[in-house]
Order: sequence, then C-alpha cells, then structure tokens
Amino acid sequence: MRTGRFMVALMVALMVALMVSMPLIPAAHSAPDEDSAKLLKSTSDHTKFKVLQQEFNSGPEVTKACLSCHTEASKQLHKTEHWKWEYKSPDGQLLGKKNVINNFCTSIRTNEAACNVCHIGYGWKDDTFDFTSEVNVDCLVCHDTTGNYRKQAGMAGNVVTKAMEFPPGSGTMIKPINLKKIAQAVGKTSRDTCGACHFYGGGGDGVKHGDMDSSLASPEKELDVHMDALGLNFGCATCHMTEGHQVPGSRYAPTAQDKGDAHIRGKEYTTNPTTCQSCHGQAPHKKIAKLNDHTDKVACQTCHIPKFARGGVATKMSWDWSTGGRMGPDGKPLIIKDAKGHIIYTAAKGDFVLGENVVPDYQWFNGKVGYTLLSDKVEKSEQPTRINHFDGSADDGKSLIWPVKIMRGKQAFDPVNKRLAVVHTAGNDDTGYWTNFNWEKAVAVGMASIGAPFSGKVDFVSTESTWPITHMVAPAKDSVRCHECHAAQGRLEKVPGIYIPGRASDHAGWLDTAGWALAVLTLLGTLVHGLGRVIVSMRKK
Amino acid sequence: MNRKFGLAVVVVVLGAGAMSAARAYDSDWKRGRIYYRQICTTCHTAELKKPIAPNDRTMAEWASYLQANKHNKGKDTVSSYFSKQYRDSIKAKNPAAAKYADVPEKDLIEDVKAFVHKSAKDGDAPAGCS
Amino acid sequence: MPRMYIFKRFERFWHWAQAGLIIFMLLTGFEIHGSYALFGWEKAANLHTSAAWTLIGLWLFAIFWHFTTGEWRQYIPTTRNIVAVMNYYSVGIFTGAPHPFRATQLSKHNPLQRLAYLMVKLFINPLIWVSGLACLYYNELAASKIAVLAGLPLSTIALVHTAAAFMMLAFLIGHLYLSTTGHTPLAHIKAMITGWEDAQESEPAAAVVNAGGR
Repeated sequence: MRTGRFMVALMVALMVALMVSMPLIPAAHSAPDEDSAKLLKSTSDHTKFKVLQQEFNSGPEVTKACLSCHTEASKQLHKTEHWKWEYKSPDGQLLGKKNVINNFCTSIRTNEAACNVCHIGYGWKDDTFDFTSEVNVDCLVCHDTTGNYRKQAGMAGNVVTKAMEFPPGSGTMIKPINLKKIAQAVGKTSRDTCGACHFYGGGGDGVKHGDMDSSLASPEKELDVHMDALGLNFGCATCHMTEGHQVPGSRYAPTAQDKGDAHIRGKEYTTNPTTCQSCHGQAPHKKIAKLNDHTDKVACQTCHIPKFARGGVATKMSWDWSTGGRMGPDGKPLIIKDAKGHIIYTAAKGDFVLGENVVPDYQWFNGKVGYTLLSDKVEKSEQPTRINHFDGSADDGKSLIWPVKIMRGKQAFDPVNKRLAVVHTAGNDDTGYWTNFNWEKAVAVGMASIGAPFSGKVDFVSTESTWPITHMVAPAKDSVRCHECHAAQGRLEKVPGIYIPGRASDHAGWLDTAGWALAVLTLLGTLVHGLGRVIVSMRKK
Repeated sequence: MNRKFGLAVVVVVLGAGAMSAARAYDSDWKRGRIYYRQICTTCHTAELKKPIAPNDRTMAEWASYLQANKHNKGKDTVSSYFSKQYRDSIKAKNPAAAKYADVPEKDLIEDVKAFVHKSAKDGDAPAGCS
Repeated sequence: MPRMYIFKRFERFWHWAQAGLIIFMLLTGFEIHGSYALFGWEKAANLHTSAAWTLIGLWLFAIFWHFTTGEWRQYIPTTRNIVAVMNYYSVGIFTGAPHPFRATQLSKHNPLQRLAYLMVKLFINPLIWVSGLACLYYNELAASKIAVLAGLPLSTIALVHTAAAFMMLAFLIGHLYLSTTGHTPLAHIKAMITGWEDAQESEPAAAVVNAGGR
C-alpha cells in the first residue's frame, strides 16, 4: 500500500521532471537555445585568436592578420569587380566604376580620395594604386558585424584609428574606430555591410538606385518580403550566392530572362543564382495559374515591385548640374531644402528632384546594356544623351518587360570636342568644383586625368540613365493589380509591340467602330420596327 | 534507494534550470534595432507624432535613462514596455512583439541598450530613425 | 385555347442558361476589352473564364442532346417559304396578316430562324470558342511546334474574338426584339418558359409549311 503510493508519487515526479527538462534536450533540427545557436554559427571564435588580440593602427594591419589564416582570401578578391572596378562587357565595352561615367556624381576620376571610400581596399587615391597588394584588401568593410566599422570619405578608403581633424583646418573631429573590437567580431556579410556602400550609391542614402537604401538594413515585410527582418530575413548573399568571394548578380552582367529551373541542391547550374526563377522556377503562381502565362513577357519584378523608394528614403530622379554655383545672401554656397527637409539644391551640385514611392518606368530588356563612354562623341540635341540604355524588343525572344528607374539630368560636356566631361569635384584644392565652383578649371583637371582633349569650354547636355528595379519585392498582396496594366493609360501604356487586353491603344479602331455601329443599328432597327407595330395596333383600336 | 533516485531527478532538473538562467547574455544590437524601431518608434510615432531617434541622446543620457527606468516622465517604467505582458498585449498588431513574444525581458532590454549605445549622438555609429 | 408542346425541358434549360451566360459574358467580355469598368478587370477576367467553361460544358451537353434526339434537323436551312416569312416581318406584321409559318414539334423554327440560328451555331459560336480558347491558351499556342499557330499574334486572336462578340451582341439585340413578335408580345417568351405554345386562332391553313426533313 505504502510502496504503491510512493510509486505513484515517483511517477508523477518523473513525469514532471521530464516535462520540465524537455526544452533542454535539443531535438535534431529544432531551434537550439541561444548558447548553441552562437556555437553553431562558426567553428571559430575570433576573440580567441592571438593575432587579433592587438591594437591595430590601420586597416592593412588587420588584413595582414586575417591573411595569416585566410591565406588565399586577397587573391580571391583581386579577381572581383568589387576590387577591380572594371568589367569588360560581352560587346567589348570597358565598363566598371573605374571607366564609366554616370549622371549622378559623374566619374570617380580625380575624385578617388572621396569616391573610393566605397572601394573594398585601402589607399586608392590615384592611378598609382597597387591592384596586386594583398594587405590593401579591406576585409572588415564586408565582414564587420558590429555596425561600427566606418571609412572616412576623402581618405581614399582608409580608416581613422586616432581622433583627427578632417578636412585639416575644418575644426571637424573624426571619431576613431576600434579595429580590435571589430576584427574580433567578424562574421558573414549582411544587409548592413553590403548596404554600407550599395545603399549610398550616388553619394547618399538611396540616391542612385531607388530600390536600395538604408531602409533595407532592417526592413519590414511590406518593404521587402524576403529581407523582412522578422521573417525570412534574407541577407544580400542569400540571393547573391557568393563562392570564393565572387559575387554573382552584377548590374553590369544582368540576366533579363531566366528560362532555367529552380535550383536544387546537388545539381550543377550555370544560370545566374540571383534571379527570381532560380528559386521560384517557371510557374510560381499556384493559386491563380493564369498569372504564369505572363512570365514569358513580363519580368517578376514588374508586378512584384509596385513602387520603388518605399522605405521612407527618397531617391534622386533628376539632377541638373548646370544650375550649380549659386551663392546665398550670406555669400556662402546656397543650400535649399524642401518642406520635408530634403536638400533640393546645393551650390556644389545644382538642382535635384527627389522621389518617394515612385512608380517605375517599364521597358523591354534583353540583358544587354549599352553605355556612352568618355571616348564617345556626344551631340547636344532635344533627345537626351543616353548615358546607358537597356536593349530589348517585344520580338527578339530574349526580352521581358522590366521596371526601371530613369534618372534624368544635365551634366557638363565639352561642346567643341563633343565629349562628356570628367569633372574634378571633390578635393580641398584649387580646382575642385565643390570648393571653387569654377567649371573650366574643374573640367580641365578632369579631362587631363584621362588624357582627353579639352577645348576650354564647358556646356551642359541633357542625359538619361537607366537602372533596373529588382529589390524591394512586396508581399503578394501588394503586387501590381491586373487593372493597373490592363487598362487605357495603365502602367504599360508606353510599352510597344505587345497586345494587352484592356489597353485601348491596342484596339483595332475600325472594329470597335464597326462593332458598336452594328449593335446600335440593330437596336435602332428593332426600335423602328417595334414602333411601327405599336402605331399599327393603336390605330386598330 | 527509490527516494535517492527521486532526489537525484529533482537535483538534475533544478541544476539544468539554474544553469540556463545563469548563462552570460551576449546582446544582439540588430534585434535591439528591430525592437527599438518596430515597437518603441512605432508607438512613439503614433502617440507623440514625432519619434525619438537614437542620436537625439548621448551614450551617457541613454545609459542613465535606462538605469532610471522612468518612462513618460515617470508615469510608468521603461521596462514595462519590454515585459512579456506588454508584448502580449500588442502582438496581434505588432509583428515584432509577436516574433519576440517569448524572449526574456532582460535580454530584449540588453539588445536595445546595445543598439542605442552604439547609435547615440556620440556613439560608434550614430543613427537616426530609419 | 389549344396548346402545343414545342420546347422540351432540356431545351428550355439550355436556352435560358445559355442566354444568361452569354449576356454575362458580353458584360464581362467588353470590360476585359476595356470598354468600361464594372466588376474590375481582375474579377471580370475570372468571371468571364469561369462562365466560358460553364458554357462550353453546357454546349457539350446540348450537342449531345441535338444529335441523340435528332433535333439537329431543326436547323437544316431551307429557302422554301422564306420570301413569305420575310414579307410577313416587313409588311404583314403591320397589316395584321397571319404569320405564314406555324411552329410544330417537328419544325419549331421558321426559315429565317433556321438561318439565323444556324449562323450562330456554325459561325459565331465556333469563332468565339476557338478564339476564346486561343486567348486562354495563348502561351501554349506560342510554344507550339506548328509554325502557323506559334506565329499567331495575340492581337489577331483578340481581334477575331472581339469581332465575334460584336456579332453575338447584334444577334442578341435582334433576337430579344423578335421574341416579342408572337401573336402577343409575350407569347414566344412564354413558350420558351413553359414549353407550350398557344395554337393561333386564325389558322393560316394554306400557308402551313412544315419545312424540313420529315
């Protein structure tokens, strides 16, 4: 009897114990507790490496330490566009940031010390930069996890490790960064690390791309269904699946149409892993299968990115350099802000038009992008010069309708030699436009840097550049609705070469006229006939 | 014999519990950033019409604010807005509160502390509201 | 009044279901075309497609019914007496002349009706079917190995479909009006609902023509 009661008590105790301890037993593939989670992230705790337990005075010192274990890392990086800033297109055009000109800050030439803050290296201040240097590869800018790594514009990509005044004589003190702490906490790349440069393309948050800005560092689901910080939480590299530091998915070598299958583990693929199709396949719409009939003509992005610059950060839609140089009543360079506090004019850069929640432009795109380069002749005309343009047509079999941001502007060119101008903008010197506001001086230095002739005259030419919209993918519920394109004056009104049911401009006018005329005449005929019958029957009475 | 076994079970269970409670917590500034923006800022924007940016305050100001634990001019506490109760009360409408429903209050406070510390006016990476 | 059972149960069901579907499809179809906004494009397109499949199903039954019952013979065209019928609709109907044709179970349609319905069944309907299905399966067509089909632009398919829709619309208007031309305005409609047609008081005895096969 007593033993029985004891046994019952023991059983209860055991069961309680089991239930309490259950969460402590890690099941295979279940979410581990936080300690395990941390442990399972990496086989290395970088705080334990002797080589990182030192004070670092410069970036290259850290890289040297990294290379003592990761011996081949810099060699891998030397092969990337991130390092070279150069890319030869299939058409033989020499592209890459080093060579192209755009209609934002135009060109890095003679401005390396400022622009190259976003190079993944240390010390690229002019043509003498050594592209074979291993220690000058910047590991931390991509592998920082603290969010505290910072490069100072104007210092050619170098970091500040001791408090200093910059620019000299400005009275502005630059706060140093703690390289030791940062180096000991390295990890995988993240939206924050990639974003440190890519969110700020064009010289400021969201300026260039429109579909990439700091709002994507920790976005909500509505802004990007994949990067949703509380949900799927994709990093950039989730799609830009990098191996050996070679990052796929460059804008210089885009895939406009991917007819490949969704990638499965273990199978080898040669197709671009950054496309939507590389995960979603060719028939992603399960509930409304008719939507799959669009994928032969319409890029996924066209419907699934209803607007860009949706995260509260404005993007530049146009930039007119020709109005630069105005001084305020105080004699200082003028700065004008709009009601929201966004800068819309500076003496250094001219007028801007900003946009938020922008409906993209749409055009056929087959993956080929042509550029107007510094060596190309440019004519001033009604038609803007296309800094770059997307190739494609309805019937080349390679194009899809893509959403794009069209950046418009006016920028300096040499009207005699008919070339786009390289402008020396940044730099605390006698010729930098941003300090001296003298076009002729600034262009002379710029053109000399590339060995191009300069007539001494500066004029301004209208330009246009095209940027693919591919980030900020909205949840399905927010995607573009049918009627936004299947309508007169809809989103795709200007896209030629395709019949869109509901788009009035596609109608055969004669058929609509004849058809309605037939209907109306039939109706009139019956009415007349009927009236006759009514009159006749009334007379009879 | 039986009694000893029962005792052993209890000791093991309690020990395991104590160990997990005593582990050192490594703050996660990114989770702090989400909590700060999607819970603190969301409510501040709605209630005050103007959010409070991390770089509106210095590191010292943030530290003493969190230390004092006085919210809304002392009408309630800061920590109450990290409580499980609070998160439960808003989780139907707030995805961050839903996601972190079961995270210990202390950890979340540490996360936000780490975020505002680094993002303060004089922090390592001053940050505004977005 | 003597009555005659003209329209069988299935026939009546088929007629009214088809009438409803066609009107509904004209309504949604011209919205898809972009002529107006009523349901919203997405809804219109979905409803139009569902209605199309329903109508195709109905037609399959109707075709089966026509052949198994021999009713298809009702649509064999004839020119006999056609002038008399045309005369009736252009003159006689105003002068109070009797209809030169009397419906019987074996011959329900006058020669003009025969022609009109045959035209709908053999021309407009197939045109709508084929072009409509081609719209639905446009992608499969474009991927087809038959060059003629693969090269068929959607604009052409849509053009044919729209043209057929206009013809159907014109037919519908005419048909609706002619349904009021019985011996009373509602006589035909009543017959189509109940199946029973009133025998006419003044017998056009001499003119009775049971055109058709048997």
